Amino acid sequence: MKIKKYLTVVRISFQNAFVYRSNALGGLVFYALFIFVFFNLWRAIYQSGEAAGYSLNQIIWYLCMTELIVFGCKTGIFSEMNEDVKSGSIAYQLNRPYHYVFYQFSNALGTMFFNLIIYGVLAVVLGLIMVGPLPDYKLSMLPFGLFSGMLGILINFFLMMTLGFTAFKLEDNLAFFLIYQKLVFMLGMFIPVEFLPKWLQNVAVWLPFSYIAWAPAKLIVDFSWELFWRVVPVQVCWAFIAIILAIFMYSYGVRSLQAHGG
Amino acid sequence: MPIIQVSKLNKLYRTRIKEEGLKASFRALVKPVYKEVQAVKDISFTVEKGEILAFIGPNGAGKSTTIKMLTGILHPTSGEITVLGLDPIKKRQKLSYHIGTVFGQKSQLWFHLPPTDSFALLGAIYDIDKSTLKKRVDELTECFELGDFLKTPVRKLSLGQRIRCEIAASLIHTPDILFLDEPTIGLDVVIKQRIRELIIDMNRKEGTTIFLTSHDTGDVEKVCKRAIVIDQGQIILDHPVKKLKYDYLNKKIISVRFDLEQHLKAPSGVTIEKTGTMGARLSVDTRVCSIDEAMRWLIAKGGVADLTVQDPPLEEIISTIFTSQPEVV
Repeated sequence: MKIKKYLTVVRISFQNAFVYRSNALGGLVFYALFIFVFFNLWRAIYQSGEAAGYSLNQIIWYLCMTELIVFGCKTGIFSEMNEDVKSGSIAYQLNRPYHYVFYQFSNALGTMFFNLIIYGVLAVVLGLIMVGPLPDYKLSMLPFGLFSGMLGILINFFLMMTLGFTAFKLEDNLAFFLIYQKLVFMLGMFIPVEFLPKWLQNVAVWLPFSYIAWAPAKLIVDFSWELFWRVVPVQVCWAFIAIILAIFMYSYGVRSLQAHGG
Repeated sequence: MPIIQVSKLNKLYRTRIKEEGLKASFRALVKPVYKEVQAVKDISFTVEKGEILAFIGPNGAGKSTTIKMLTGILHPTSGEITVLGLDPIKKRQKLSYHIGTVFGQKSQLWFHLPPTDSFALLGAIYDIDKSTLKKRVDELTECFELGDFLKTPVRKLSLGQRIRCEIAASLIHTPDILFLDEPTIGLDVVIKQRIRELIIDMNRKEGTTIFLTSHDTGDVEKVCKRAIVIDQGQIILDHPVKKLKYDYLNKKIISVRFDLEQHLKAPSGVTIEKTGTMGARLSVDTRVCSIDEAMRWLIAKGGVADLTVQDPPLEEIISTIFTSQPEVV
């Protein structure tokens, strides 16, 4: 596998991301609005005291970070692959000298870089305006949190890709995507896992969903080595599983491909 | 040695079928019923290096399915394919360095970026080094006259400009074989003509073998030396275009309108297909009656207000082929 071609794909898709200016602007407004609404909600909740070990300051930063991961990873990979498979334009992408899974990943990376930069800046600005910096924040630990964030992004990307590949077999696979989205939303993105009932927490530990947004956001906001060693190895495992699943679904799908659209 | 060899190729699709009604819907949910559709039936042919071959047939005849099997996208149900000495399914990636494909109805260019960016990307994908790529892009730019819009985002190009870019893009890596699936679909006459010239040029200059599918008799007549006609997954004809033309494209359709009432009595070689009091549609067998003769006869009648001469549509030629099998040996 020659890495150079994949890097070129990343570069071109990064360039391409600049084209969607109004799209990006709309996304930024939506992001700010979202954070603002939940900022007020959390402020109201925190009137009656602290919850599950998060201060208001921390919970707002937590929210900014989980949203950053979710907005930053908005690549449309699911709908794109769905479209590619259903319209048959996947035919163009199959007979090229690259691995389709990694091509799509490189393709998405360019967009994700772009998104993470613009949303990252906005997230920090919003956090500072709304609640100010986190007290006693250990900036030196941030790279470890960001590393966990990268793993979260990997898990999310390859799971969505796996779901996208179900289009090879199923006429309508949108339901999977919606369920997946809701699971990520409920198990960590919207509220920290610690807020969930005990039994659900026990379930969530065994599922990949909370390792996408909750684990990295928690590590970024309130770093501890104990947590790091508890979640990062699990993230590595899930990332690995997700990649294998995507590759497996791809080769399975290609073998049974029924070219659509003449 | 032939560059493409296909023998006894078959492709079966399995599709789910459902009978009418709610009850059947439930039944299908529990126990789906499948129907097998044979898209390609036992076809065999070979293509020599440097040939321009047309693969023609009506919608759903199996043209695209065949192209997709030749390029390794679809797995054949049975049969053997060798392209450039390789099995397309097993060596898809290796083969992809040596073949180019254009699907007229789909795009391989980045919609929002100028063609140069797509070329750069394809260059990287095919492991072409910078200086070679630059030389190649310059060559293609000149040949396909892309200079004016090389830096314009693809979304702003006209269809004709886009198709030229698509074909250029598929030639970036100097493939030995170019597969063109309906390259002229939706284009106007002038652009169509231009694209055809470019394809012929490419074939002459670089010896690229061209495998073309089309609905358009024009594409076949003007570009190809040999044609394979396929219908319902089977090869019906495999002939040089010259022979095909002689056997089947010898019919012209004349539509005529008169200023005054005429009662036509057709000379031999002319059949009246439809007639009204003021006009008629005639088909002329040019082997028996030349267009020249037919026109003279009509003009001699007097009062011709309007007259058009057309080629019969491909669909008609194909149906002629079906109904006149004995003529073919």
